[in-house]
Amino acid sequence: MKNIPHESGIYHVTGTAVYVDDIPVDDNCLTGYVVYSSYSRAKIKSFDISRAINMPGIKKILSFVDIPGKNQMGPVFHDESVLAENDVFCIGQAIFLIAADNEENARKAAKEIHINFEELEPVLSIEQAMQKGELLQPQRRIECGDVEKALAASPHIIEGELVTGAQEHWYLETQASLCIPGEGNEMKVYSSTQNPSETLAIVAEILGIQKNDVEVVMRRIGGGFGGKETQANHAAAWAALLAYSARCPVKLRLRREDDQIITGKRHPFLIKYKAGFDNDGRISAIDFEQNCNGGYATDLTMAILERAMLHADNAYFVPNMRITGNAWKTNMVSNTAFRGFGGPQGMAGIETIIDRIAWYLKKDSADIRFINFYGLNDRNITPYGQIIENNRLYMLWERLLESSQYKERKKAVDNFNSENEFIKRGIALTPVKFGISFTTSFLNQAGALVNVYTDGSVLVNHGGTEMGQGLHTKIKQIAAKEFGIALENVKVNETNTSKVPNTPPTAASSGTDMNGMAVKNAIDKLKKRIASVIADEFNKEKKFTNQDALIFENNFIIDSKNRGKKILFSKAIPIVHLNRVSLSATGFYHTPGVHFNRTTGKGAPFYYYAFGMAVSEVEVDILTGYHRIIRADILHDTGQSINTAIDIGQIQGGFMQGVGWCTTEECKYDEKGNLLNFSPDTYKIPGVRDIPGQFNVNLLQGAPNPNTIHQSKAVGEPPFMLAFSVWLAMKYAVSAVGNHTIEPEWNIPMTNEKILLAIEKLTSNLK
Amino acid sequence: MNHNKIAFVLDGKVTEIGFRNSPYYPTTTLLQYLRSLPGHKGTKEGCNEGDCGACTVVIAEPDGSNKLKYNAFNSCLIFLPQIHGKYVITVENLGTPQNPHIIQKALVDRHGSQCGYCTPGIVMSAFALYKQCKTPGYEEILDALAGNLCRCTGYLPVIDAIKEACRFNGKDHFNAEEPEIIRMLKNIRNNTSKTIKIEKNECCYYILADIKQIWSILNNSKEHYTIVSGNTDTVLRVNKKHESLNRLIDISNVQQLKKIDIKKDYIIIGSAACIEDIKSAVKNIFPPFYNILKIFGSRQVRNQATLGGNVASASPIGDTLPVLMAYDAEVILQSQNHTREINIRNFITGYRTTQIKYDEIIAGIKIPKLPPEKIVTAYKISKRRDLDISTVNVAFCLELFQNNIVKQIELFYGGMSAWTKRAVNTEKFLTGKQWTRENVEQAMNFIEEDFTPISDARSGAPGRSIMAKNLLLKFWNDVKKCN
Repeated sequence: MKNIPHESGIYHVTGTAVYVDDIPVDDNCLTGYVVYSSYSRAKIKSFDISRAINMPGIKKILSFVDIPGKNQMGPVFHDESVLAENDVFCIGQAIFLIAADNEENARKAAKEIHINFEELEPVLSIEQAMQKGELLQPQRRIECGDVEKALAASPHIIEGELVTGAQEHWYLETQASLCIPGEGNEMKVYSSTQNPSETLAIVAEILGIQKNDVEVVMRRIGGGFGGKETQANHAAAWAALLAYSARCPVKLRLRREDDQIITGKRHPFLIKYKAGFDNDGRISAIDFEQNCNGGYATDLTMAILERAMLHADNAYFVPNMRITGNAWKTNMVSNTAFRGFGGPQGMAGIETIIDRIAWYLKKDSADIRFINFYGLNDRNITPYGQIIENNRLYMLWERLLESSQYKERKKAVDNFNSENEFIKRGIALTPVKFGISFTTSFLNQAGALVNVYTDGSVLVNHGGTEMGQGLHTKIKQIAAKEFGIALENVKVNETNTSKVPNTPPTAASSGTDMNGMAVKNAIDKLKKRIASVIADEFNKEKKFTNQDALIFENNFIIDSKNRGKKILFSKAIPIVHLNRVSLSATGFYHTPGVHFNRTTGKGAPFYYYAFGMAVSEVEVDILTGYHRIIRADILHDTGQSINTAIDIGQIQGGFMQGVGWCTTEECKYDEKGNLLNFSPDTYKIPGVRDIPGQFNVNLLQGAPNPNTIHQSKAVGEPPFMLAFSVWLAMKYAVSAVGNHTIEPEWNIPMTNEKILLAIEKLTSNLK
Repeated sequence: MNHNKIAFVLDGKVTEIGFRNSPYYPTTTLLQYLRSLPGHKGTKEGCNEGDCGACTVVIAEPDGSNKLKYNAFNSCLIFLPQIHGKYVITVENLGTPQNPHIIQKALVDRHGSQCGYCTPGIVMSAFALYKQCKTPGYEEILDALAGNLCRCTGYLPVIDAIKEACRFNGKDHFNAEEPEIIRMLKNIRNNTSKTIKIEKNECCYYILADIKQIWSILNNSKEHYTIVSGNTDTVLRVNKKHESLNRLIDISNVQQLKKIDIKKDYIIIGSAACIEDIKSAVKNIFPPFYNILKIFGSRQVRNQATLGGNVASASPIGDTLPVLMAYDAEVILQSQNHTREINIRNFITGYRTTQIKYDEIIAGIKIPKLPPEKIVTAYKISKRRDLDISTVNVAFCLELFQNNIVKQIELFYGGMSAWTKRAVNTEKFLTGKQWTRENVEQAMNFIEEDFTPISDARSGAPGRSIMAKNLLLKFWNDVKKCN
């Protein structure tokens, strides 16, 4: 049961798993198409659609004036229009929607829409935005201790800047939605979304209808990674507007290049830092200034920046720390959620500092990490005031150091480097401590609806979305275990807002934690009802059975006081039904105790922390800049894993996605703000040959997580940041070019181009 | 079989498409066609440009010995007429949820799918490998999967699953069907005229079986025809640039152009031979050429792309051009009454322009075997090792005197200018000098005199310059290692 296959695995491999674009539609279904800005910043002086609307196959062309409700789809702050009005603020911003009989006709008509733009000067980088001084929202701050005083008292100071780049989600399935109007105002929305309830809210708002008229359905998505937390709303909103206006079904699916141009990415950051430390490398103070490129609208930027700030400490105790966060407004796509949600950018700062301290003191960076780890009983308060409980860092450290043979291999790496001029090796150990819960506390709630049918089969509905992470598989396991029945008798339904309403997005790695608990809550209610009827049934034969003594296991309901007394679950359910007792129950859960005050920057925003650690060894060809991961050893804390295979899959996949961000995935722009890497031709995510030659992933044993569903831990995001071990191992290899006498410039991503430039700079300083 | 119609085998049955009375065009891709059918939604569109493999299908053809040969293709890169006379296999044909194929079952059991969207493509790449290769090694599995991107798994469980499944030595329900499928395919070919002409609205598309048929079309028309052979590049004009291509001649079924003829002193590669076949043929004869072909696109792309196409496109970053130039290859051009050979170094005249005339086609490429004293090496740098286009690609040819003096050196660079060019000043500097590290390092400074590269999505100009210089040093180091 522990590592059962993905509940959809058999449908995936036989091509029978249904995604939005696979849903059968009838011939009158129209194709939706979006016409977007090709200017980063411009005024729309006038436009003319008269020619386009009369082109063959064109049914509707909509501009902002045709929106019946609000022209607004910002998820938190209402600063993002569905269709541009008088101004465009980035390339990719939607201006018109077209409904046509096919995509080709829509595209031809789009060419005949004439827009008279007045081009204005755009803001295309964090630096430009800083000069202009335009923030999306007010600056945020988290602070503890006395940073100035501690810095002044520090024997050593390092200062610097770190740049991290944008990352394209590159989910295999691009954004897609199919909207089918029903009676009256009804709108059924099939959406490739991580956030059905918000998709529902946006559709209702823009159509000016009540939420009870909208039904959002999603069975599965072909990858999300945060890219469909808010960005899926756009395709749904556009398709819904067209369907509402045309009164017939409309399907809108973004082509890959449009998806890459239109949708938000991982936020680029510019992090400025000043850190003080002693001769041992123990950090006394850090002053961080985190600057992120939010794009033209807020989207989730403030929550992402917040998580970056809350992870500026990563696994290290810093007694005096100030983190200032600025979300800069630029004329670029509105950047959005991406696995880690700011955490990777935040951690990259302190991992850089630690690495530089080691470099400065000529010590092993792993040792510097170790002496700065949060303590088990002291040195365990974060800058925002949360005490770290159940710290797993030392368990991980001890076991990983041994299994990876880090120390011995580091020596071998140094030996190799002394004997090889053009190929250099590096090795690095990095930890991850990741806070689990939405930092926006009210989002930490979940709902479920569990139905038991009279044949004893169970249908579970919950608010989470299945995007490959195995949520439905784990929920199925939880439900089967709670009911004590076989997996085959449990089915997890598609996610549907009419079954479970008002749900948070499936994000923040919290899907199983929260939905699992909500499902358990519903099942607890049902079991109580069932037990009550069955106890009465058992008592008919004059044997005294207490309903509290009934247990559900091995497909039976059993009197635990008298184990001979039992009834098959499937036989019991019809009896409950005949007794006119409801076999359907809702469940609910909210994460207890989490809170965070944004004004003071203090609180306990996380229910618990997930921990992980990795050792990676790499080889860099210093003439071509190519790198190769020779070996990666990962030990990750998933508590009492519900499904070890799924958890290991999340770790392997998350790690490689992090490797992509740190190495080959790069977004370049021209001087007008056009994205140059807008297709997989030039945007390179890791391929099969980029994985480590030896890829050892293990789960931390013997560390159950108290107070969570089946004592498990969230796993979706934390492993992403283990890729820093690769990133810093590469730095070590490049640093070896100058025999560690000159420190290479090291940002994210380090493509082979950037590596060669870093080496060039390094060697020119050597001379 | 008459005009305006093609036939192929799908779902084990002969299937015909009559273009006149269907929604399909000759430039409709196989992917679009499959997805328009109710039973083939398993074939996914991930990028529509051959860069992700989600749309991978297997196309089988008789191998000449009464067996079928199964190869993986990106269905987004194939025009419908290209499947005429072939057997198309999609993920649905392998197995069902109730009765999955060995590959499918292994992927489920080994947790090889997460979101599942890339999975059908991975299944098909794995299936092609399963049918071709008994007990493939780790490298062969990686090679088969290099054209399939997965954003969820980190690939390891996929590799494990394939390793596991391939223990069954290619056995499955396809073996029993082979004779019947081969009979169907033969029937289609026997009933097909030599040339099929497909006309639909403004579009006219010829499928040729014999190259002789091409002259009457070329010579009798004032219009420019686009030659479709591998089609991995041309199809992008439709998929990505949304051009209407209305005059096309498809030579991908012309067997005469697919030959690879290995002679004592040279090899002639037919212009329509696919890269994968060439790769195998040149492995021992031209190792540097093999090394470049190994990382040419992906398996799917190599099964389809041709050497003629790569040469004709004259791209500044064409993978094969520097190495063909280093080998002093000849391009064999053929018109109705005339065959001529042009040295490839003179063949390309500018950015995507060549010496080819309107009534000529590339028949083949002739590569001479070089005397052992000539050392040829080729390198390619791209952002990702596999399935990526060159940032800089080079091929170098060196001949030394006994006393380590450079007798001749030829340095061909792609990605450094509008077309593949020689580093003339660098060559001049090195010629007659000692082949030492000092001299090579000095020569590297001349690269900047030779080239003013551009900055683009792949790299900035400074990065390109460093790569161009470093590859010379790498060459020196590799030559040293050989000696």
